[in-house]
Amino acid sequence: MLEKILLVVASLFVVYFVVDFCFFQKQQKRPVYQQRLINGLLLAGILLSFYFAIAAMTPYLFIQIVLLNIVEMCVLILATTGIVLIFKTSVTTNFAQGTMATVGAFSAAKLIIYLTANTGYPMATKLILAMLFSAFISFLIGLFVDTVIFRHSRYANPVGKQMITMGLVLVLLGLMPILFGLLPLTIEAFSYDTQIFTIGQNIFVVPNHNLYALAITVAMLVVLFLALRFTKWGLGVRATASNETVAGMMGVNTKLITAMSWAIAGAFGGVAAFLFAPVGSSVTVSFMTPVQVNAFLASVLGGFSTFGGPLVGAVLINLFQTVASFFNSVWTNVIVYVLILFLVLAKPLGLFGKKTAKKV
Amino acid sequence: MMMFRFYLGEFFKKLRIVSKHPYFGFLVFGVVLLTLRLLSLAGIVSASMMKPLILTMIYAVVALGFSLLLGYGGLASLGTAGFVGLGTYFIGYFSGILGLPFALTLVIALGGAVVLGAIVGFISLRIEGMYLAIITLGLSEIMKEVFKSFEVFTNGVDGLDFRNFALFGRPVSDLGVDLIIIFVFILLILCTLNIIKSPTGRALLAMKNSDSAAQSMGIGLMKYRLLAFVLATIYAVIGGMLYMMDQEFSIPTTWSLDFSLNILAAVVVGGAQSITGIILGTFMIFGLNNTVLKNIAFFRTYPDATWILSGLLIILVTMFYPGGLIRLLVTIKAWVLRTVKKWRKKWRIHRYGEDD
Repeated sequence: MLEKILLVVASLFVVYFVVDFCFFQKQQKRPVYQQRLINGLLLAGILLSFYFAIAAMTPYLFIQIVLLNIVEMCVLILATTGIVLIFKTSVTTNFAQGTMATVGAFSAAKLIIYLTANTGYPMATKLILAMLFSAFISFLIGLFVDTVIFRHSRYANPVGKQMITMGLVLVLLGLMPILFGLLPLTIEAFSYDTQIFTIGQNIFVVPNHNLYALAITVAMLVVLFLALRFTKWGLGVRATASNETVAGMMGVNTKLITAMSWAIAGAFGGVAAFLFAPVGSSVTVSFMTPVQVNAFLASVLGGFSTFGGPLVGAVLINLFQTVASFFNSVWTNVIVYVLILFLVLAKPLGLFGKKTAKKV
Repeated sequence: MMMFRFYLGEFFKKLRIVSKHPYFGFLVFGVVLLTLRLLSLAGIVSASMMKPLILTMIYAVVALGFSLLLGYGGLASLGTAGFVGLGTYFIGYFSGILGLPFALTLVIALGGAVVLGAIVGFISLRIEGMYLAIITLGLSEIMKEVFKSFEVFTNGVDGLDFRNFALFGRPVSDLGVDLIIIFVFILLILCTLNIIKSPTGRALLAMKNSDSAAQSMGIGLMKYRLLAFVLATIYAVIGGMLYMMDQEFSIPTTWSLDFSLNILAAVVVGGAQSITGIILGTFMIFGLNNTVLKNIAFFRTYPDATWILSGLLIILVTMFYPGGLIRLLVTIKAWVLRTVKKWRKKWRIHRYGEDD
């Protein structure tokens, strides 16, 4: 069965490359029908290989593994949302998203230790307080970064802005051992129990932590999308994303909008790190790095130009990982990354990307 | 005596002409490094000072290649770590485990670098700007995973040892390795100098400033982007091989995002378009913590705290000095010259009176 999948995928990519290289140098812009042909081939390839893969591992097992991986999916979605939110307003890819979140997780772990030593709150209260604290700290860091650094570097080119965020990664990586000590800390899961569902004759097992994580993520996303759609802030974000200068001229307080976007993105990251810590065993300086890398790839896969696209990208990456880990647990990430690389090569603007006209 | 003075005068006249040559400064730099290394043999310069300097040179080789990409091609890539890692494993596997002669290893490594660079170059034709950094980051992650899992080639997460480096069938001592590193370093500096002053370098610079303008002037994007990536990959692989000769050990965790970020920091902090700037930047990021800062107690307890300095340097330099620290030096030099001129004028007025 594995051979079949590889055959389908490989043949589709060969077809794609032949088509691409035949027309690569001759035409700057491809005709629409060719574009559609290539897109269709790719889509068909992905769907077919997915179908074969799920058939090979049986739908029951697939759903079970997906249920066990819900936390990772939620974390990835939250991190991706943060990155996209910042990209929309500041036109930069924030490499420090994961590191900002890690600072939040560290402070949450410290708060749990403090509360356990000094108060008699039950575990649930402590965890909720810690989660809010994590979000709050990351919120403050986001706010600080925008008001102190990004507000004053508006005229740096996009690659320069990217470099500033990379510098920020180094600063935070250096600061964390000084602030929180050199030892890794732990954050407990909301609950270590599991729920057992029976559908037909199949029994599904879901850890409670996954359900809580899913609830929190869905709630946050719903609030965010409602806010983007219906509040003045959301209107401001959309206006700033479309054109910052004109938005400023029309009376949108772009400084505030950008600062709030950074802060909210930070808070999303903080919650993501908090939810991910019990799964990733312990809070260390670089425990969010894989999430960060995946979130970037998800954003590129979905396309930065829409809010929804990257979320679909995040879900897709997680499903790819689920399927790939069933067949080969050692090479999972390599398979997934190569697949994404090919997808992005085929569609450089992402699956849902829109082409923007460039003035020369 | 007359003759001697005549020859001395001739010598200085010649020296003045020679010192105008662009190679001169770097050759002198090489001789200084060589002297330092030989002095450390005699114990005048401490060995703990020399080791980080040699390592800095290796990183500077990688940074030189990266500057061709970023400073001249305008292509931000985060795949450096993967390529350097690949270089270490090339020499570790082919020379160390298989025991092939070094010349053959070099050919294989350079061939691998060309192929890999061409692949990344093709990717860069489709994906541009900020997305390229992310995709090359993904590529670097792929290579890191391969280093971890492809145990025949890399010995997995335990790391690969490489001892008994031999050249022409004869084992090379530590001193020999250091001399090779200094030689390659100076050689690659001169190479880079030639590349950036040649039509290729001009074409890359044109491409950086505007794709469309460069294309309309007859510069093929495909050719020059591929070339830029191939060159950068070759430099990175050579850097990796030097690293393996010097450190004799390579482990996948070294070749992570941090390494790429540090190389990027070195190039950006120093000044991406000036070779002196890159050497300065590499020393600021990699050399400073091991030679100077490690003597401070605070940095000994928290070794990672040196990253704060590099990070702050990147942020401040990008915000206020996009040309890099080398521009700061130029500004300071101009300021000093101006001030000296002003005071000399004042002194003249004081001495001879104002001329009306």
